[in-house]
Amino acid sequence: MQMEVSRRKFLQGSVALSVAGGSAITATNLFGSGDKAHGKLSITTKTGVGGDSQYVATLCEMCVNKCAAMARVEDGVITKLDPNPLFPKSKNMLCPRGNAGIQAVYDPDRLKSPMIRIGEKGKGQFKKVSWDEAYKYIEEKMTKILEEEKDNRSSFLFCAGEGMAEHTFKTFYQAFGSSNWLNHSSICLQTVASGYGVTIGAYPQADLENAKYVIMAGANRAEAIVTPDTMNLFKNTKGRGTKLICVDPRFTNTAAKADKWLAIKPGTDLAFVLALTYVVLSEELENKEYVKANFNGFEEYKEHVIGNKYTPQWAEKITGIKAETIIEIAREFMVNAPQSIYYPGRRSTFAKNDFQLRRAMAIFQGLGGGIDCKGGLVFGSKVKIKNHAALEPIYARAQSRAITKKADAKVGEAGYDDCAIVTGGGSWLDWRERFLTNKMPYKVRGMFCYKHNPMQNMPNTKKTAEMLKRLELVVVIDTMPSDTVMYADVVLPECTYLERTDPIKTFGGVEPSVAVRNKVIEPMYETKPVIEILRGLTNKISKPLFEISKKYDEDIQDEIKDSDEESVYKEFDITKPFAHDQEYLNKHAVEDYPGAYNELVKNGVFYPHKSTDFKQLSVNEHQYYKEKNKSYSVNGGRAKTHSNKVECNLINLSKKGVDPMPVWKDEYNYKVPKDKFRLLTGRHAQFTQSGTANNSMLRDLMMENYIWINKRVAIERGIKFGDTVEVSSKTGSTRIKAYPTEKIAPNQVFFIHGFGEESSELTWAYKNGGNDNAVIEDIIEPTYGAAAMHETNVEIRKV
Amino acid sequence: MARYGMVLDYKNCINCKACEVACKEENGVLLGADAHRIWVGVDEIKGEYPLLDIVSSTFMPSQCQHCDNAPCEEVCPTHATYYDDNGVVRVDIDKCILCSYCMNACPYDARYVDSRTMTVDKCNFCSDTRLSNGEVTTACQATCPTKVRIFGDLDDPDSEISEILRTREHFTLKPHLGTKPKLFYVM
Repeated sequence: MQMEVSRRKFLQGSVALSVAGGSAITATNLFGSGDKAHGKLSITTKTGVGGDSQYVATLCEMCVNKCAAMARVEDGVITKLDPNPLFPKSKNMLCPRGNAGIQAVYDPDRLKSPMIRIGEKGKGQFKKVSWDEAYKYIEEKMTKILEEEKDNRSSFLFCAGEGMAEHTFKTFYQAFGSSNWLNHSSICLQTVASGYGVTIGAYPQADLENAKYVIMAGANRAEAIVTPDTMNLFKNTKGRGTKLICVDPRFTNTAAKADKWLAIKPGTDLAFVLALTYVVLSEELENKEYVKANFNGFEEYKEHVIGNKYTPQWAEKITGIKAETIIEIAREFMVNAPQSIYYPGRRSTFAKNDFQLRRAMAIFQGLGGGIDCKGGLVFGSKVKIKNHAALEPIYARAQSRAITKKADAKVGEAGYDDCAIVTGGGSWLDWRERFLTNKMPYKVRGMFCYKHNPMQNMPNTKKTAEMLKRLELVVVIDTMPSDTVMYADVVLPECTYLERTDPIKTFGGVEPSVAVRNKVIEPMYETKPVIEILRGLTNKISKPLFEISKKYDEDIQDEIKDSDEESVYKEFDITKPFAHDQEYLNKHAVEDYPGAYNELVKNGVFYPHKSTDFKQLSVNEHQYYKEKNKSYSVNGGRAKTHSNKVECNLINLSKKGVDPMPVWKDEYNYKVPKDKFRLLTGRHAQFTQSGTANNSMLRDLMMENYIWINKRVAIERGIKFGDTVEVSSKTGSTRIKAYPTEKIAPNQVFFIHGFGEESSELTWAYKNGGNDNAVIEDIIEPTYGAAAMHETNVEIRKV
Repeated sequence: MARYGMVLDYKNCINCKACEVACKEENGVLLGADAHRIWVGVDEIKGEYPLLDIVSSTFMPSQCQHCDNAPCEEVCPTHATYYDDNGVVRVDIDKCILCSYCMNACPYDARYVDSRTMTVDKCNFCSDTRLSNGEVTTACQATCPTKVRIFGDLDDPDSEISEILRTREHFTLKPHLGTKPKLFYVM
């Protein structure tokens, strides 16, 4: 067999950049270093050929996966990150981002010292201050606001991105006593996690290692890497044990590795699943025994699906997938069940019907009995670790979450102005809208933002900018001068993940374990881990805040009368959660397991079965658990709902205005006006959202994002590869280079999220490529208020 | 003494490019897309949406083939390119005069110019960074998420690579040129 192998020709940079030594980074101005002025990049590639190398076990933070790595350190410089083969979750791999983590540490644009804004908001003009000055500034502004708001702690919003130290920051929010917490969930996996949660009792994992048949719809594991799913799946596809059906409007890398690719119309997956369900129910292909024992509301659901005539022929018109293909897939799925998986996925909400889509997927999975079993969806088990005590004082004056309940809501209607259900993570879009339209039940005036980039992470950037401008005190803790940092009043620089020890984390699954991120090198510049930042800050503000509460909080006043001030203060001393070092807390977390802490410090990973079960099987593969010790089934093959049954018909939901069973509505039909395009967005393996946009090594793989536009349409419009086009919607516009391809439908366009930064302090990311959130409309998913990201139609103009 | 080769289970490749970054970090390869020792070959897909030819978009990971009969070694006028004791095709940068004959001679386009040393650079199976320390692995093999690569000693009949070559169908690139590559693609 002969094959021509070409060097990559597409999406490659062409600029040869010079290299400075990794240790040669010195701060010469607030943001930058000497290298930056000349536009040079720094890479820290010592060869490791001589001298003393030390290895430190750490966990990656280039995306959410937390893969295990061994960091090589020479003369105090991190020179290489290698996979740590001891971790069952990431097995023995590091993706391109994991390898490029060194550049996150030695990025000359990093935030280096605390700063206070001196210029107009959003302009990024700051003065460098000491940590104490920054804390003092926060204290003054904060006490003024809380004084004026009469100790309503909820006048401060707290938000955080996902990460191992998110919990540390959340501890601060809880101790502070606000009710306003927003995290990534409403712009991430809220609807999928909740859809599976209410239907089968938990957001499950998928045992792709043992599945024989996988439908991967709206998930792209070849590009949006999830460990261990990505590694488990693609070694078995292409006729090697697992049949993979990829359902995606775009021809992704996952489609390239699939046995069959179905080009579905965006937002119509629900019709596809309902039709699969119709085939199974009408042909009675379901696992009858399983359904009888483990379903609630099956007969109603059957009647609903059959009665509404969700037939393959009906779905063909909506989805664009042929009826006979739908029939074939439904049959094949059931033949292979329970070793067949309709893959739940882990992504943001694309369409308004996403919650019901997830319900329909979970029920369809259940019809084959593939729940809590080998080769199906699994709940797995966890290695128990100890939590440490948090402080959750209750302040009498703190109001509840800033949401507006619908005053005249009747049974069967949504309970809130903007969505049906409000969860702990809240809804970012709803919250922002209420704030901007003055519909808040009380004033929210300040915001603490940790490892989160609202300017880049949610649709309609203009609105976020307006929100940040209107907030009186915005405190941002981050490692990079992100677009959000540009709108901060106070910037507190955190060290990167390779410069800190984070809380030990337990990773549940078929092969559960505990892993830790150990500090590899000391924090550079004046940066600190968030636990130390919060220690310093709470030391400054704890007493002054208590003084305000003393003035307004009747409960506290009564308590002081009954005892004495000192002992009452102890309950409100918010320095307590941060008093100890992370290492101390970690030791406590695993103290039930003799030797575990030392094992974690040395090797990064611990689980009780490791000493007996772990062994290397081949050059690349390891055994983590003996087969008999794996947690394929932890609940007797049943769902994890209260009833231990798959819930088809949720009457309680209908009281809140949510359909009790998944229903297709005409408004879900895919429609694009002539001469417009549906904008799709997504991820790939080389960048993680905006967080990696300035990474010089990753830019080496892809200099900027490109917009996919159908080749024939591009020819019609005279658009050639590399031409700049303007993409615009009601929300705004962005400019981006074109990539004409047949991998996308004629009335759709696509580009990767996370590019087109507006922060001029990001040397390489600044105005590099297109920003999807400048264009995506803030369309709200009705159940949880999640951001529906694939509902925007755009115009394209060659410029 | 060994004779090192590599098996590529190329159907596993998802074109994530972890190998490219690991290689650059491991070997101090300069930034810039022209400078790379390792790459994933991919062709633009054939067909018209939605009738696309899935097979036409196969990902082909590649790098220096470490030929037993290497044209680059043959043409080098200064003997800068040589076979080391492990059969790895390497470049002695002190001898390289950047005549670039080797770059033209290589049928696999595996060589490029390192603009720092102004010599020709290429994959060396991590000889200086790993093999010399007693490791029998390369950075690209170690990091690969889907485990495309298996590195090992072709002269050792008990090695995993030897076992795979005995038991699985495989091919080499451009065999008609008689270069005898030590990279084997398994089907």
